[in-house]
Formats: sequence, structure tokens, C-alpha cells
Amino acid sequence: MTPGTSRRRDPVLLSFPAAMGFLLLLAVPLAVFLAYSFMTAGLFTVSPPFTFDAYARALGYGLNGILALNSIVIGLLAAAATVVLALPVAYWLRYCAGRWQMPCLFIITGSMFASYLVRIYAWRTILGTRGVFNQGLEALGVIDEPVGFLLYNRFSVTLALVHIFLPYVVLVLFAGFRPLAPAFLESAQDLGANAWQRWRRVILPVMAAPAATSFLFVFILSAADYVTPQLIGGTSGQMLGVQVQANFKAVGDWPQGAAISILMLLAFVACYGVTLLGLRLRRLDRIRWVN
Amino acid sequence: MTAEGRAASVQIERVTHRYGAMAALSDIDLTIGQGEFVTFLGPSGCGKTTLLRIIAGFLRPSEGRVLLQGADVTAVPPHKRPVNTVFQRPSLFPHLDVGENVAFSLRLAKTPEPEIKRRVADALALVRLPGYERRASHELSGGQMQRVALARVLVARPRVLLLDEPLSALDLAIRLEMEEELRRVHREVGATFLYVTHDQREALALSDRVAVFNRGRIEQIDRPERVYRRPATPFVARFVGDANVVPVDVTRAGGGETSIAIGSERILRRFPQSPEPGPAWLVLRPEALLLSEAAPRAPGIPGIVRDFAYRGSGYAYRIAVAGLGEMLKAEVPAVESGPFAIGAPVDLAWDISACLFLRRREG
Amino acid sequence: MESTLRSPFSGAITIASLVFLIAPLAVVVLFSFHETASLAFPFTGFSLRWYRAVFASPSFLNATLNSLIVASVSAIATLVLGVMAAFGLSRSSSALRGPLALLFFLPITLPGLFLGLALLVFFSRIALKLSLVTVTLGHIVYVFPYFLLIAKAALDRMDSALEDVAADLGASPWQVFWRVTLPQIRPVVIGATSLAFALSFDEFVITFFVIGSQSTLPLYIWSSMRRTIDPSINTISTLLMLVTLVMFAVAFALTIRKDGMRAEVGR
Repeated sequence: MTPGTSRRRDPVLLSFPAAMGFLLLLAVPLAVFLAYSFMTAGLFTVSPPFTFDAYARALGYGLNGILALNSIVIGLLAAAATVVLALPVAYWLRYCAGRWQMPCLFIITGSMFASYLVRIYAWRTILGTRGVFNQGLEALGVIDEPVGFLLYNRFSVTLALVHIFLPYVVLVLFAGFRPLAPAFLESAQDLGANAWQRWRRVILPVMAAPAATSFLFVFILSAADYVTPQLIGGTSGQMLGVQVQANFKAVGDWPQGAAISILMLLAFVACYGVTLLGLRLRRLDRIRWVN
Repeated sequence: MTAEGRAASVQIERVTHRYGAMAALSDIDLTIGQGEFVTFLGPSGCGKTTLLRIIAGFLRPSEGRVLLQGADVTAVPPHKRPVNTVFQRPSLFPHLDVGENVAFSLRLAKTPEPEIKRRVADALALVRLPGYERRASHELSGGQMQRVALARVLVARPRVLLLDEPLSALDLAIRLEMEEELRRVHREVGATFLYVTHDQREALALSDRVAVFNRGRIEQIDRPERVYRRPATPFVARFVGDANVVPVDVTRAGGGETSIAIGSERILRRFPQSPEPGPAWLVLRPEALLLSEAAPRAPGIPGIVRDFAYRGSGYAYRIAVAGLGEMLKAEVPAVESGPFAIGAPVDLAWDISACLFLRRREG
Repeated sequence: MESTLRSPFSGAITIASLVFLIAPLAVVVLFSFHETASLAFPFTGFSLRWYRAVFASPSFLNATLNSLIVASVSAIATLVLGVMAAFGLSRSSSALRGPLALLFFLPITLPGLFLGLALLVFFSRIALKLSLVTVTLGHIVYVFPYFLLIAKAALDRMDSALEDVAADLGASPWQVFWRVTLPQIRPVVIGATSLAFALSFDEFVITFFVIGSQSTLPLYIWSSMRRTIDPSINTISTLLMLVTLVMFAVAFALTIRKDGMRAEVGR
């Protein structure tokens, strides 16, 4: 601090209006939501007394269990596919792109803002029996009749989710690659590591934290999705978020919807905690760069 | 086989490397014996680092071959060559501690655990960092990091070690200390060391032989003393140690004497090295020049002091001589009588057997 | 350098990924110009009929207008609150910074489902009727962390010594902010606002729960998707993408090029 300047008030005060807004529109609603999960259900309404009934209903309803499992499976598949695809892309952008780096980054970030709904719609048209994919396969003579297994199932939901989250993960991993200067990879190669060994022993450990956090991000947001399964999930591709949404909008059992949501949230927090713990145990959570 | 009868460790045959139309290296031929310490010396852009990277395998030469222990490795990728490199930046893997960094190549080779422990401890002891295995890389100083990087390559027992300006990022005091370390390690390990630097002091201090590079060619490769005292070209003379490289004209006078025209001055002597008549470069080391007060029958040539700087060990003068474009540099030990004043006329003399003549092409 | 880093495999995956990302969207745009009502190849010819139909539809125009209004209000509110909050967090050494940052960045990690539901429940409890107002409030909460992230990063990167110098020369805190800080971060702030607009314009997940009887453009697409199967949805989607793309291009140009997102290749 330069002598002679006096900070009469800490600048943090400037963030108070936003903080007030957030307390009112985020913290309080979440608290109310939590409270609702313990209330007695009416039709599209709640009332005291406080009870655990909603949780009992949530956990007891068989369909919830099936949907939860489906959500987990789809979430894991989407997250895995996204990260596995994004790693080589981020690598190429970081080390091989040259003057193509800016244009490619623009395309990737640009596609990030193509609307969520539009993407789902796009895949619905492409994967359908009269869609581009089927037409292409028929034209190539691979099949005689259109195949129906591309749409309205887990596959289409997962595909659309990967399409939605891939740009984001590429950017996060690209940022993760930045401090890893080529000199480190050259040193590794000089010491005898071939390409696979460089990936396994240098790149992946360094990228473990960004990769794990993006995996979690995609998993959580995918597992909680209610739009994609409704539009292109068919019967086998339904997920828990749809059930929650149905409880609120259709069935009217708000406490159960809230209970399912809270349980999902708890599961997500647990996943997050376990991942952070795992990273910390392997000392991969924070890499200190010096060169 | 090298001239001294050592087994050939590294052979470069007619290596040329081009970037587009520009040749970074032109027709390099070089044989380095096992256990030698050879330095590639030159200014930036002279090709020394390019050659090192070709030997390491990170570049494929446009033409020519690289042989290691007699085997052609030109097409072999870096991780399969029996060569290791120490880079300018230590690049210690940040997710591994010191011990794991040093053990890196051993783990790749699936060396058994007890042997890894032993060899890592030996390597760290060699670079004088015993017991540092569990330290984190970011806790180390610059010099320590570079020593760990050295241990990391030495643990693999390479027969050839390449060092690409490893000390240039360090402070001067650490650098001098590390130079001693490197010489000691070289003696103890016995591997061939190929060292790249632009610092000629370092090159002279460390090497068995120095190869001076200029614009993609080796102008001279020889023992440090010979490169210093008998530079083969004006470039080498200027680059290695500070030298005056003066354009002169040599004429044979009668009776075994030779006349040298320096600027507008002339001297007439019996030069033991019998320079060829014609245009030449006269190479004079600044410390070989003797300055005295100008006098009518002084032995040398007259000049005028234009500048001087105090160097602790003496004075560094700039002397203007009539007819010469560049000023001459002289280094004179400090004496009680104090320096010559700026503008003072002086007499420049030197031991005529201590100067060197090189052919000069006109134009 | 060359041999170590080269990876034709990664290059191939990158091309495949770019195609994967863009091709479906390109197909949507293509068929918005289709002469017939078919959404299948072969593509028979170009026509603007769907554009004419869509622009003639009052419900579409209404939804678009609503989206524009909500996005504009959200963006501006976020701009004002966000710049202040970014400044507050960046230039402060208070212990409150941690908890505040946690509060502000929470919405990014929370799936929209929970945000939307929590707001629905809250508005119902305080008996606030669902309308474009509630939608705007929801959008601000959603969009704010993204704006804050960018603005705070810009302030962190900026040399705060400039502000100290200005204060030393006699500028009041307000003058320092207006004359020194703001000009430095102006392009980034405009870019972030543009981003906020785009995010709000596109938003569906939260809107679905907190909207009343009106519609926004994404909601209009949703209901269309459940009713019709003709290229008019393509048209609306194309228009939606166009607006977002333009706002995003502005944001990209103003924020990313100034910052160290570009790792120089080979360094």
C-alpha cells in the first residue's frame, strides 16, 4: 500500500448489494426448498407438520430407484465420453494447433452457446428414422430399412449430453494444459519415455485435477437433467430429474420432489468430496509450478 | 577413433540442416571421443543448439548422419538413444518429489525397487544433495533444481550427456560453483559431455576441446589454449577472449625484416612468424599491449587515449590510432602512477612473438 | 520439439470433434431454408417460407420480445451489481471474500433443476406471482457468476498500482474507479455483459419453472418441439443461434484476445 493513501472503507462493501440479492434469491430459496422436503404434502401445496414422509415416499417408490440408477449410468457415460474426447482435443490445441488455435477456440466456444434446446432438437432430427444418419446408412447400402435404435433411448440422451458439455470440458482442460510447457514433455522423452508413457506419467497426473473436476461437473449436470430425457429419452432413457419435475408440475407432490432433489444434492456433494479426497491423497489436487 | 586414440563416442557426418531456405547448419563433420568434454561455443543463432538437438534426436537433419558408439542413430527417436540432455530450465516434474524425479527413467525401465533406491541415493550424493529424496521440487533454489535435473539424467548412466546452456539461468556466484561441480561430476562419471554455451569464459574453463560455431559452420575446434592463443579466423579471435583484430598490410622489406602498415603507421621488424605478404589481420590480445608515454624514439606506434574504465585488476583503455577505423583495446595492470588521462598521447607496443597474423580477403 | 509433441491421432480427434459439434447445428440451419416441409434429405431447394411464416406468428414475436426484454434487464442488472462485486472481491483483503465468493459462484455448480425449483418454491411462499419478473430474477442469479468470473479475473490481472497512483495524485475513490479502473477493464466488462445477455437469452431450465403464462423464445421452441414437426422449429432455432452467436462473438473478441487464454504453441 503506498504511503499516503487511506482506504477509509474496505472495497468489499461494494459487493454487498449483490450479496443481499443472492442471499434473498439463492440462500433463502434453497433453505425453503430444504424445509419443504420435510413438510406434509398437499396438492401443489405444503403444510406443517414436519415429517419424514416425503423421504419415505421418495425412497420407497420403486420407479425412483430405477430412474436414479439410469441417471447415474447416463451421467457416468456422458462424463467419461466427454473427458476422453476432450483430452486429445485440448492437447492438440495446446501443442499442435499453431495458427489454427484461435479459429478452433472460437468454433468450440461458439458452439458452447448454441442453445441447449436447439442441440437436442438437432439430434432428434438427425437420429430419427427419417434423419440424416439413417439416410446416410441407407445410401451407403449398409442397411435396408431405417434403424430405430438410435433415438429415444439412453444412447441418444448420452450423445446429446456429450454434445452439450464437450466445449466446456475442452476449454477447462486446455486451461489445465497451459502451465505444462513442452520442455517437460521433452525432458520425459529424453529420459526414455515413449508417447504412451509420457501421457501416463506426466500429462495425466498433472491433468488429474482439471479432468476430475470436469468429469464431476458433467456427471452432476447430466444426472440432474430433465429436458434431454423428456425430449429424446424414450422409455429407457428416462432420468430422475424428470420425476422431480413431474412431481412439481404434474403430480403436485412438492415434498417428494424436494426430497428427491435433496437426496440427489447430497449424493453430488458426496461425490465431490470423495473426488477431492482422492486427489488430495495422491497429492494431485494442487500442482505447484516452478521453472 | 579420435586423434588421441579414444574410441569414437559421437560422430557427426556431413550434417546440414535447413529451415526453409536458410541453412542453420552447413556440412558439419565432427568426431568426439569417449569421455571427452567438448563445448559448442558461439553467439545466438550460430547453430550450436540445433546440432545438439539433432544429436539428442529432437530434430532430423536435412542431410547427413549421426552415429553414437558407431551406430547410425539418425532415424532413432530421442527416447531410444543412449543420450540424455540437461536443458536450460530444470523442468522438474511438479507432481513428483525430488526422489521420484530422479527415479523417473529407472521406473520406465522397470528397475527393481531396491536398486532404484540405491541408484537415486547415489545420484543425489553425486550432485551433493544427499537425503533430498522426499523434498518437493518447488522448495528448491534454482541451483539445486538444476542439480536435481543433472542427477535425473546421470542416474540412467548415459554414455553421452548433452547440456544445453544449463547454467545460463543462474546467478553468477551459483554459476561458478556449478561449473566446478560439473567438472567434478564429469571426472567421476567418465561420460562424454557435449556442452552448449555462448559464454566463452565458461567454455575455456570446462572443456577438453572447444568447437567455435559461426553461422552454421565450425570455424575452429581445438583445445582451449590453442583456440585462445591461436585463433584460426578473425571471428574466433574476436569471440574467444577479447581481441583486437586489426586490418594491416604486410610487405617484405630486405634483410629478413617485414613492414606492417597499421592505419597510417608503419613498423618494421623481424617477425619470427614470417607473415605472408599481402592484406592480413593482426590479432592482438588486449593484455598483450604495452602502453608507455609517447616519446620520439618509442618502439611502438603512436596513439591517443580516448577512454578508460577501472577494472579492479587494472585499466581497460580504448586507444585511437591514426588511420584505423576501430579503436584498439588495451588492458594494463594498475600501477601507482595512475592511469593515462583521456586525450593523452601514448606509445603502443607489444611482444612481436605474441601476436598473430591471419589471411585477409580484400573487400 | 517437433517430434515430441506431434500427434496425428489428436489432430484427427480434434477434426472429428469439431465436425461432431458443428454438423448437427449446420443441418438445423440448412433445413430452416427448406422449400418443403420435409426434414429429410434430399434437400430440394431454398426458400424463405418458414422465415416468413415464423415472423408472421404473433406468439413467436411475443416470445422473442419477452426474451429480449428479460435478457436486456438481466444483463444490465448483472453488469451493475457484478462490476461492483468484482471490484469488491478483487481489491479487498477482507476475510469475507472467501464466503462471498462461495455464495456468488454457487449457481455454476448447481444444476438448473434445483435453482429453478428452489425459486419456484420461494416465490410461492412469498406469494409472488410467476411472471417475466420472476424469470428475470432467476436469470440474474444464473448469469451473475459467469459475469463475475470474467470481470474479477480482469481486475485481478490489472495492475492495481495504477489506482494507488491516481489516489496519490488526489483522486477520490469514485474518480479512481471511473477514470482509471473502468477504462482499463471496459472491453472485458462489455464482453462479459454480452455473454450475460447470451446466456439469459438461451436459458430454459430455470425459466421453465418460474415463468407464468407468458413465453420466452426457448420456451416457445420447447412447446413447438412437442407439437409440430416442420422446419419452422429450425427457423426459430437458427434465429436463436444467430442472436447468441453475435453476442458471443462480441464477448469473445473483447475478452479472450486480451487475456492469456492463448498459450503460445511451443512455449
